[in-house]
Amino acid sequence: MTVLPILKSATLAAILFASTAVFASAKDVTISVWSGGSGPNDNYRTDAFDIAADILEREAAIRGEQLNIIVQKTPYSGWEDFKQALTLAAEAKKAPNIVATGHEDIGPWAQAGLIVPVEKFIDLDSWPISDIYPNLMEITSFNGAVYGIPQDAESRPFFFWKPYMKEIGYSDADIEALPAKVEKGEYTLKNVLEDAKKMQDKGLVQAGYGFYPRNSNGPDYWQFYTSFGGVMEEEGKLVFDKAAMKRTYQYFADLVKAGVTKKNHIGMPGDQWWKEVATGKAGIWHGGTWHYARLVNQEGLKDFFNNVQFTLIPAGEGGKSNTLTHPLAYLLMAGHTDEATRIAADLIKIASEPRINALHAIKSAHLGISPSETKVDLYSADRWASEATERLLPHANAMPNNADFGKYWTIMWKNLEASWTGAKTVDAAVNDAETELKSTLGAAIIIR
Amino acid sequence: MIAPAAIMIFLFFLMPVVLTAIFAMTNMSTATGISGGAWQVTQGAINRLKADMPDLAGGIAEPRFVIDEEGLAALEALKIKAGFSIELRTSHMGEVFPSRREAERMIKALKDRPSTREVKQISDLFNRSVLNTRFENRDGLMASLNKLGFTLTPAEQETVAAATYTGWVWTTENFKIIGNSPDMAQIFLNTAFYVSVTLLLFNVSYALFLAITTHYMPASTASIFRAIWLLPRITPVVIYVLMWKWLTWDSGFISMFMGQFGYPVKNYLLDSAYNAWFFVILINGFIGASMGMLVFSSAIKAIPQTQFHASEVDGASRWQQVRHVILPQLRWPILFVTCYQTLSLLASFNEILLSTRGGPGRATEVWSLAAYHTALNNYTGNLEYGLGAAMALVLVVVGIVLSLIYLRIFRYDTLISKPLIED
Repeated sequence: MTVLPILKSATLAAILFASTAVFASAKDVTISVWSGGSGPNDNYRTDAFDIAADILEREAAIRGEQLNIIVQKTPYSGWEDFKQALTLAAEAKKAPNIVATGHEDIGPWAQAGLIVPVEKFIDLDSWPISDIYPNLMEITSFNGAVYGIPQDAESRPFFFWKPYMKEIGYSDADIEALPAKVEKGEYTLKNVLEDAKKMQDKGLVQAGYGFYPRNSNGPDYWQFYTSFGGVMEEEGKLVFDKAAMKRTYQYFADLVKAGVTKKNHIGMPGDQWWKEVATGKAGIWHGGTWHYARLVNQEGLKDFFNNVQFTLIPAGEGGKSNTLTHPLAYLLMAGHTDEATRIAADLIKIASEPRINALHAIKSAHLGISPSETKVDLYSADRWASEATERLLPHANAMPNNADFGKYWTIMWKNLEASWTGAKTVDAAVNDAETELKSTLGAAIIIR
Repeated sequence: MIAPAAIMIFLFFLMPVVLTAIFAMTNMSTATGISGGAWQVTQGAINRLKADMPDLAGGIAEPRFVIDEEGLAALEALKIKAGFSIELRTSHMGEVFPSRREAERMIKALKDRPSTREVKQISDLFNRSVLNTRFENRDGLMASLNKLGFTLTPAEQETVAAATYTGWVWTTENFKIIGNSPDMAQIFLNTAFYVSVTLLLFNVSYALFLAITTHYMPASTASIFRAIWLLPRITPVVIYVLMWKWLTWDSGFISMFMGQFGYPVKNYLLDSAYNAWFFVILINGFIGASMGMLVFSSAIKAIPQTQFHASEVDGASRWQQVRHVILPQLRWPILFVTCYQTLSLLASFNEILLSTRGGPGRATEVWSLAAYHTALNNYTGNLEYGLGAAMALVLVVVGIVLSLIYLRIFRYDTLISKPLIED
């Protein structure tokens, strides 16, 4: 009677023992990956590592090593909370192995020692890294060292709702020719204001919906500064071009004054913004290439190309048409063993291969990181990716990698917001920005 | 018996203030890190050194990889394939590479084909520049500079150390920034406005109104009213604020209701600074009023009924009762509520964060919220712990000063002195 239970537990014990023995012989490595600003279409920012881990494990098996990689993925949909969580986690020595974030974080994080240069672990001459566009690699470098591997590229166009453009007198041919006119500087931000006004006057859109900018802070607003002739950085030093910044602030104040943009536009709920631009409530707006994915996949704008035209950001007074690319980069966080970081670096390398990166590029409507990616079927067969790459990417600037850029940005933005909402006059806003930049950045910024 | 209390006070009340004060005297930020820095020759550091020490700045500005005896010895000591060092010695001795990448290209082409890991190991051994190397201590940097042929005097070392240090330093700059920034002044005014209006209108006056009116109601009706006014307090704040948002959003109740009369849809919460303030004060006031109501109601309950009866016999009206019986005996609770609510309004920002996030255009940004945004949560991810702590410290000082003033105004000493009658 007692033999059976004893036998049972003995078998159980044997199984348990055997299973731990199996696990113990395999090398278990946990690689954690965090990503910021990742909505429902951006899952491959982290999911790419599942595929990469599978390939790396197989490679190890062929070499005769047993490697078992556990990928822990933590995508954040926003930026504020992500950056707060990551910075504080890193300070508490609990940083993930890999992070996908905006390239502008490289400056401060490198100074703080939160990240290690990827060039210490990755052979930059090896494929697929050698194939990545050199200007993107430039954007992920800081102090002459390559800190990150570009994760995606994008650029930020202006969008026009075609039916309304026709109503205010543009022919199909005119609309077709608009991107070229914008590029040459023949259609400017001034025309944007006028056309937005026309749309409202004709009753096509409600007041405040003629020009419908991004509803929150973003790199987008540096494009307007560039349009008005501003420069962000020169030879490693930040530049505050007072006249250009004033024209930028003035433009948004003018938009509000003309009634084509709402005074309280900033801070409106994001979901509402998306729904409105997808359903033709807005006449002209701006955004990023990835907006295509959201508009088509989530917001139900099935016939994008018949409804929407897209162009560069038009030129303003004293500047030229432009767009901004804000690549995310995979960075290696400090504070891990060399072994874990090496595996993380290998994973990044695999995740950057054209076919895997194309999954992200096409699903989220970002642009590819290498020429060979554009030859992947999935990518080349996508109308948006190919048109946007051709029309926008050659004109793209990027924000500088500078440890002090965040401070500059915060000050630039809050004064733009203040002049937009009328909390300050444009002159006061520019002067306040100048005063604060002088007192916080001192010699690190050129004010002209 | 005083020891445990003293320890508690120290740990939970004084330590946070002391730590805040310590942080406030630094320039800690994301870029400098919290735990301390390293010494690193970066492009920025070289720019800083150019003016004072042009020779040094020029000499260390470029990366340099040199195949030399020292590196070969280190390579042999590593005991990876012997072929590497033999080939390097015979074919590459004395070669200089201006970048890591170029050095690694040569190493990679060695006949024994080192793996990427070995390439990195080998190239590190021949790195003969200090550029971008993080030295965990100052002497490490100085020793490396020495090896490169730069012998520095102690004063020069000091300059180099200051220019290359990546961590935080002690500074009083934060207070100057606070003092000089026009935005800080605006935020200070916002805070004063928000605290005084909410406090006067709701936390004290409205609470007093509720307490007195419910006092004159039948007990059961009174408890229903009190329970209703407690709802904002007991609803979780996220849900409570969300309900306000439903009320005020573009697609919210007010907007839909006004739409019936032909008014265009708009976001009433963020439409203008006035609207935002109106709702921010209501949201906070409704929560704050309940606390005052409870305190005042119980204080009124504690007034002997005989006093009300006597005053009624004397023909006092309700107003006269309030004026001469109730209010004089509520001085203590009013002091308490004023003082307590001032401090809690000064320090709390969660309702504002959840409703307007300080908008539109920073119109409803109050001091504590601005400190939070500065130190812990902003879009660019540039967390300025030092400046944020300095802002918090200002709040502590303001709180203490205000408390002292209140004690003075309400003549705290007479409130706690022994009644004359018992002498």
